[in-house]
Amino acid sequence: MMEIFRNMLRRKGRTILTITGITVGIFAFTVMGSMALRFNKIIGGGKRYITGQITVIPKGSSFGDSAGAFLPLDTINKIAKVDGVQAVAGGVSLPLVEPDPNNPTGGGIGQQASIQGMDLESAYKNRNWTTMQMKEGHMLEKGDAANAVAIGYTVAADQKLKVNDTMKIRGKDFTVIGVLDQTLTGPDQYVFMPIAAARQLLIDSTPFLKSLVEQSTAAANISAADLAKLPAATRTQLLQAKAFKVEDLSQEAAVSWKDGQDSETVANRIKDQFKNDVIVLSPTKLGEQIDNASAIFNAIILGSAVIALIVGGFSIINTMIMSISERKREIGIKKAIGASNRSIAWDYTLEAGVIGIVGGLVGLGIGVVAILFINHKTAASGAEIFLLNPTFMIGVVAFSFVLGVLAGLIPALRASRMKVVDAIREL
Amino acid sequence: MPKTLIHATNLKKCYQLTKTNTVHALRGVSIDVQEGDFSAIIGPSGCGKSTLLHILGLLDTPDSGAYMLDGIDVMKMKSKEANSVRAKKLGFIFQGFNLIPTQTALENVMQAGKYGGMTMKQRKARAMELLKLMSLSDRMDHKPNELSGGQQQRVAIARALMNKPAIILADEPTGELDSATSLEIIELLKKLNRENNQTFLMVTHNMEVANACKKTIKLKDGVNAG
Repeated sequence: MMEIFRNMLRRKGRTILTITGITVGIFAFTVMGSMALRFNKIIGGGKRYITGQITVIPKGSSFGDSAGAFLPLDTINKIAKVDGVQAVAGGVSLPLVEPDPNNPTGGGIGQQASIQGMDLESAYKNRNWTTMQMKEGHMLEKGDAANAVAIGYTVAADQKLKVNDTMKIRGKDFTVIGVLDQTLTGPDQYVFMPIAAARQLLIDSTPFLKSLVEQSTAAANISAADLAKLPAATRTQLLQAKAFKVEDLSQEAAVSWKDGQDSETVANRIKDQFKNDVIVLSPTKLGEQIDNASAIFNAIILGSAVIALIVGGFSIINTMIMSISERKREIGIKKAIGASNRSIAWDYTLEAGVIGIVGGLVGLGIGVVAILFINHKTAASGAEIFLLNPTFMIGVVAFSFVLGVLAGLIPALRASRMKVVDAIREL
Repeated sequence: MPKTLIHATNLKKCYQLTKTNTVHALRGVSIDVQEGDFSAIIGPSGCGKSTLLHILGLLDTPDSGAYMLDGIDVMKMKSKEANSVRAKKLGFIFQGFNLIPTQTALENVMQAGKYGGMTMKQRKARAMELLKLMSLSDRMDHKPNELSGGQQQRVAIARALMNKPAIILADEPTGELDSATSLEIIELLKKLNRENNQTFLMVTHNMEVANACKKTIKLKDGVNAG
């Protein structure tokens, strides 16, 4: 072992350059990999949740961006009566903080905190996520006050909130009744509140909805007698305005199925009956979509590993070929005094492996420092975008060693197959 | 009657340098070495001395001929077996000392023990004993570049003795030494031959060295001469 280090130190400059090559590769691998792990974790948590229900969104919107369209209460009630459906819960979600008009694209990468309106009257239960682990207090349930909120781990940590604290959301006061345990995924950034309160916040921040509500209230105040006096066209408009109900404001609905029912069959039944009004996303279909998203992040990990492989691998191959041709004499001597081919190959392979592992450790170290620094910075403004996973880190170091060994293999085999008499002639 | 260690007959070897240029290094050389011999292969340069030594040392293979080393037919051996036989039965001393520059004197000697299958403990004990025998007790931790030519060659001799070889092959062992040091090294080899019955076969064109040998084998143009 000592000899390996001595040989590495023979040409300090060259060894340092080679190690730097691997360091760069492994640094990229660590950082990209940790980011992909983080996103995969978020996606994985989302997948578990989303495949525990049938998701229904209004026609004209797309999954994940349903702000522009709404599901009428009427439709929700009808879906609840479909064979096999256990319960339906309407839902509203919106960003926790109103977007800054001066910085509309702000926020940056990572998950942003959001408000999730929950229909507490509904008997709906997610199949995969039946209970949330609580750090303190309890999860929002039927009978809780209209201004009660249960908040995610990161939200609580960011705003230093605990149970019974008052939380100001978009100018209104809410009382924290529970803080969720860390999940490392979606719920960490959620504020759960009764759907009525969430609807009100949505209306308050949307001028169009606000005016609809005002018109509806104003129309409701016109007596039937006054209405009769108006022209037919105006009367129709006012009756339409009057018909608008705040309860109609649901951006999506979560459907749970009865025990013993097949989720795909139930989803297809809803699809058949309401194909003109809603889009039905079955657990299987959504699961596949999410897997596709995960595949992209896995490709990022793989891609960065390949970069590390190319950058680091070739510099090791180059260095080892150089140092072997410099040490031809030495190989000759070792063979003359009885070294087997295997023992020569082993010496050089191990040396390349050590170069790999040293570069790997340095690259990992720099990567971890960079990740901790960036995570510390981003924790204040939203979510951490890197996940440091010990298994992954051990894997990175092992990978760098394997990389070194593989890169060293070709030059080492070349050295071991060197004909003694050729090596000896150099003497 | 002493045991025959090397019995080689009619060894031939040619090197194809280019398509039209073939060098016949050995054209049919025969040689016998008995246990306890202190022999020299002599001849003008280019006569095939080094090629013969390389073949006898299993560093190269002849094109044809027969070669028995300590009763083993090495012509039929695979290179893997040859490595093991070389480690255990043969010791080498080269003209340019050829120590491994990153290793200390002690480590250089121990290296041979590793290939000879000794344990770490055995290697260290034997290497220290041999360096002591070479009067290098106080130089064990020195690297080759911190040693004089004579000292380096004594380390190389210790390394050659490490696995108690049947025979030590030396290629111009005094080639890079001044005459006083050469004499000293030859005396050392003679002493090892006399006191330990260590067999030596060396290649030289130094007549002083050749005269010190009990037996000389003369080569000329790739064949035995007289």
